Amino acid sequence: MNRARRMPVKLLMQLSWRNIWRHRRRNAILLSAIAIAVTGVTLLNMMMRGMQQDMMNTAIENLTGHVKILAPGYRDDPGIERGFEVVEGWQTALPGGVQGWAKRIRVPAVVMSERETRGIQLLGVDPVRESISFLGDATVDGERLAGPGDSRLLVGGLLTEALDTAPGRRLVLVTQGADGRTREAGFRIAGVYRAEIAGLEKAFVFTGLEALQQLLGTDKITEISIRLDHEDLEAPTIAGLTGSVENLDVLSWRELEPQAASMVEISDMAIYILFVIVMGALVFGLVNTLVTAVMERLRELGMLRAIGMRPRVVVAQVVVESSIIMAIGVATGLMLAAAMFAFVADGIDLTAFDDSLASFGMRPTFVPVFDIRDVVLVVVLSLALSVLASFYPARRAVKIKPLDALRR
Amino acid sequence: MRQYGTVTGCRQRIVRHAFAVVAFASVSPASAQVTAQSLIEGALDLTRGTSSYAELTMTIHRPSWERTLSLVAWTRGREDALIRFTAPPKDAGTATLKKGERMWTYAPKIGREIRLPSSMMSQQWAGSDFSYNDLSRTDNYLRYYDFAIIHTEPRDGHTVYTLDMVPHDDAPVVWGKETLVLRDDYVTLGQTFYDQGFEPVKRMETLEVGELGGRTFALAMRMQTVDKDDSWTEVRYLAADFDADVDDNLFTTFSLRGR
Repeated sequence: MNRARRMPVKLLMQLSWRNIWRHRRRNAILLSAIAIAVTGVTLLNMMMRGMQQDMMNTAIENLTGHVKILAPGYRDDPGIERGFEVVEGWQTALPGGVQGWAKRIRVPAVVMSERETRGIQLLGVDPVRESISFLGDATVDGERLAGPGDSRLLVGGLLTEALDTAPGRRLVLVTQGADGRTREAGFRIAGVYRAEIAGLEKAFVFTGLEALQQLLGTDKITEISIRLDHEDLEAPTIAGLTGSVENLDVLSWRELEPQAASMVEISDMAIYILFVIVMGALVFGLVNTLVTAVMERLRELGMLRAIGMRPRVVVAQVVVESSIIMAIGVATGLMLAAAMFAFVADGIDLTAFDDSLASFGMRPTFVPVFDIRDVVLVVVLSLALSVLASFYPARRAVKIKPLDALRR
Repeated sequence: MRQYGTVTGCRQRIVRHAFAVVAFASVSPASAQVTAQSLIEGALDLTRGTSSYAELTMTIHRPSWERTLSLVAWTRGREDALIRFTAPPKDAGTATLKKGERMWTYAPKIGREIRLPSSMMSQQWAGSDFSYNDLSRTDNYLRYYDFAIIHTEPRDGHTVYTLDMVPHDDAPVVWGKETLVLRDDYVTLGQTFYDQGFEPVKRMETLEVGELGGRTFALAMRMQTVDKDDSWTEVRYLAADFDADVDDNLFTTFSLRGR
């Protein structure tokens, strides 16, 4: 009894394997359909993950960081009057995995040249600490800022063009001091930076943190930006800081850059939807092939039933056949995708579409990202789908009456 | 960077300058001890006095149109000024108040005064070639610039000085330098604004010098962007009264709205 209940696994595998080879052409077509679909889905997935990563990095490098400490109200009304002084040793509350942090002053200001006037964000920075933002990677014509006491300016390329000025020349900056009165002064341009996202060049002008504090008449700063090794460290960092820096807001980049954050979420959804649509379509192909295979083998299956094969084993036979086809298809597809990924892993040059990409906050070079979790998802979901797909054909196979089948 | 020419040129200039000073010492007492500082202070006070009242017209010329506005202006000391347009009707009532560094404008159409943000100070004033800065900054010469007399020449019985004005490095001045042409009786004959490559950008010229309200000064001036000869703004004094009795209440945002 016990022996009969047990699945004859070896026999099943043998049967299914041979069955597959009986219709080479038909199964080869199905198999390549699965392989191509899996390749496509995986590649698209990698590209979307790349895009996602890119949007996220851009949002974070855009002077945001993973986590930022701000005074309450600064976001609604940025200015030095919403500045704060940090308690000595605040950074002890930081958990591990911090790539770096930077204290800054960030105030709205007006910059004037001989011919033009523009509204900008004026940032006082410690240049060494800015390796965590886009400024660290930016190329600079002329000189970089020497230190927090450097009272020269680092101006974006596009802004320099708009103002019709050059390194070594002077710009006049106007902003509001800590006492609420207007401060204005001439500043020499040390260098001109080029950012990957062109829009940043128009928005930000940098000078030394201490130099700006002196102009504004304050010891305060307006923000601390923290960059982490990995996004997952965000929650513990925020939790750790919230307790230690009192009366200040500790915010995630998702709150500071809600647009980028929702783009990331949307692309997450898009990845799953795409996968379900493509694989869903494939399931019908699979069902069709399996039904055909079962109908062709009516006599054979009837015979097996007549000599004592249990219905469960018949069902298992169909499921195994379906799973083998799917498994081989997925494996081939993944290998193809891996080969193609290796080909584009260094990044795809999209400089031709630079402008339209920049409006989405994306870089001109596009690097696909391989995420093992997505691959696992593809494998698990496909196998689950193959089992699901074999349900109807298997039912047909079980319903075969041995007598009817043998009489044919 | 400062364009003082060669050593010999400089020496020649000093010699010429000395000659001019000697030559006109007897004519004009002011030139007894002419320094760039005294010239600029004199020029600033010439059209202001401790207080002043003036009626002017301003003509804005553009390639396709031209319009003339009438205005009245009061000043008090070097710091405060109130300017109000009186014609044409479209602009009448529009006023600008300057108190120290701060400026307000009032437009009767919207019925409220606006404190001018710094970002607007370099923009055109009333659509003319003058910027708000040109109105407000005049008294900053003494604070933000180094000046030197670079050229002296006799003209029509006067000595004419050309002053080089170089802003301090941290001065809130966008220009690379300015040159100011002044007569020994402090009449401004012209002013040129240079960018930091020392190319001229804007130029103001005096078109007519005459006497009004008991003083001799530039009665008509034209401001234009260099290389744009068909766009300019001309200001002409019609009447002036110096050391006039000006009510202190005049220089308040309340009086901006008009009496």
